[in-house]
Amino acid sequence: MKRFMKTHEFHVLVVILILSAAITVVNPNFLTLENGFDLLKSYSFMGVLAIGILFVLISGGIDISFAATATVAEYVMAVVSIKLGGNMITSLLLATLVGLLLGAFNGFLISKFKIAPIITTIATMNFYYGILTVITGGKWIYALPEWFRAFADIRVFTLVSRAGTPYGLSVITLFWAVITVLAFFLLRYTILGRGIYAIGGDIGSAERVGFPVRRLQIFVYSFMGMMAGIAGVIQALLVQTVAPNSIVGKELDVIAAVVLGGASLSGGFGSVGGTLLGVFLIAVVKNGMTLVKIPAVWYDVFIGAVILISVGFTSWQGKKGYHQAVIDIEKEEAA
Amino acid sequence: MKKIVLIIVIVLVLLPLHLFAGGQKDAADANKYEIVTVVKITGIPWFNRLEEGVDAAAKDLDVNAYQIGPSDADPAQQVKMVEDLISKGVDAICITPNDATALEPVFQKAREKGILILTHESPDQAGKDVDIELIDNVEFGRHTWDMLVKYMGDKGQYAIFVGGLTVPLHNLWADEGLKYAKEHYPGLELVTSRIPCGEDQELAKQKTLELLKTYPDLKGIIGFGSLGPPGAAQALKEKGLAGKVAVVGNVIPGHAAPYLKDGSMSHGVLWDPKDAGYSLTYVAKYLLDGGSLADLKEIPGIGAVVVDGDVIKVDAMADITKENVDSFGF
Repeated sequence: MKRFMKTHEFHVLVVILILSAAITVVNPNFLTLENGFDLLKSYSFMGVLAIGILFVLISGGIDISFAATATVAEYVMAVVSIKLGGNMITSLLLATLVGLLLGAFNGFLISKFKIAPIITTIATMNFYYGILTVITGGKWIYALPEWFRAFADIRVFTLVSRAGTPYGLSVITLFWAVITVLAFFLLRYTILGRGIYAIGGDIGSAERVGFPVRRLQIFVYSFMGMMAGIAGVIQALLVQTVAPNSIVGKELDVIAAVVLGGASLSGGFGSVGGTLLGVFLIAVVKNGMTLVKIPAVWYDVFIGAVILISVGFTSWQGKKGYHQAVIDIEKEEAA
Repeated sequence: MKKIVLIIVIVLVLLPLHLFAGGQKDAADANKYEIVTVVKITGIPWFNRLEEGVDAAAKDLDVNAYQIGPSDADPAQQVKMVEDLISKGVDAICITPNDATALEPVFQKAREKGILILTHESPDQAGKDVDIELIDNVEFGRHTWDMLVKYMGDKGQYAIFVGGLTVPLHNLWADEGLKYAKEHYPGLELVTSRIPCGEDQELAKQKTLELLKTYPDLKGIIGFGSLGPPGAAQALKEKGLAGKVAVVGNVIPGHAAPYLKDGSMSHGVLWDPKDAGYSLTYVAKYLLDGGSLADLKEIPGIGAVVVDGDVIKVDAMADITKENVDSFGF
């Protein structure tokens, strides 16, 4: 417990709790199950992408192209579902496969040619998005199949609010939950997960110890691609419209959430729990601003301030730790 | 190594072809005016429709007219695009500004080079030659409030969505409408300052859910920006409030159709962006040919114009209801 209190995750949790308490004092509607479920549904998209980018960041890389990947996967999924039919499972598999291929291409370029990941993925972002715009001409898709529309309304269980409106845990949130649990086990209890931390910590040492560096790199970008594919489906379920430009531009929000959750941009650090908290923090701040009646002109100021304070505080804490030079093997392992 | 050689060979083969094609095109277009339309954001239905008008005018008027725009509604990217066009030396730039003030300096630069600047959706823009409005903006703002009142009654709480806090026209409509409402509908109560989510459906939906929790007595939403009303409608449907909270604003008919039909959206107001694309290109050509603003009486296929200073007004406002939504064709 004491060790937990020193972690970054704990600090983020404290910030979330303080903010939640403050928001609830102003507007009791914040701390309701209904608002919670609404947020879990809305932020499923960001949450799934965050898990993907977490793997990339831990491995010491970065991916800017995932929003473009998600868009391509979403578009292909929508066109095929409309033209050839199918069901939720085929849609999901198709989008995941498209994402996997585009992600694997990133991984191949980065591991084979050793081009800096940021350059590679900026290039592939433009490439993927550009090709999609050329082929589709920027056309939007409104007429998604009935079974697709209906799926978005499914709730795992339904409650009724005092005002008489039904609400509950959306099936969309389950995607996020399942992926989060899988990612947690993958990172923590498999050799694969250890390998990702290893190459992010020190790629040269990892190679000498015998980790298959190239294959691990291809894996993290492919995994990011798969997450982007699933996120694309989630986005289509949430908005019921497929637009070639609706996801592009959200990359930085997602990366900010993961960094808030303790992942390091230089690799080797980060956890699924922290990532979850990072997304929650962004969600609480954005949601809370409307609920406490802050005028919209202040939104960006608040988001920026929360990120600065949280990351700055952690960085300061980290520096202190460095000077103390505590060698804690168990903590290293848990990280 | 082999691959690199292959790539070099391919580039060498393609390069002369490309240069040749480019040269040929320039020769053919040398006598044509180059009139470029810069939109707020590329690839959304509204501006795709506007591009149809630009293309139609290019054909009708035999000019080299085309449309470009940033991938998201970013004022900085738009400024950069205008700078590129200035160095390219085009004849006229038609633009729907994302941020009126951000563009002033580049407009100044363009005019020093003799490039004509035409704006759309930005009547008070400084540094322009002419602005074209397909609607009377004061009337448009007021009409939107009239429609809100028609569906929610003249008492109660409501909120306003705009595309962005710096989008000139959305904020002008909001200003005009608010002034009008103060006089004519004193019972209306705006719950919070305008919220910038009109160009992102998911965000508009999320904001609507939050508004409903913050202001449980909310009776109406006005959405400027074509994705605001559908997002609001989606949230209302999800909460079983379709029809209980009025949603009015500007939308693409094809996009709004399902929401209008199931009652989650009440009423749409807009003009056809295709007419805007056509008018901009037409007036640019007209002025480049040496025509004077005072003599401009009509735009073929669009209608009669009223010239007010350096603003050209055409009355092309349209109401979209569940009855006529399928008749627009876009």
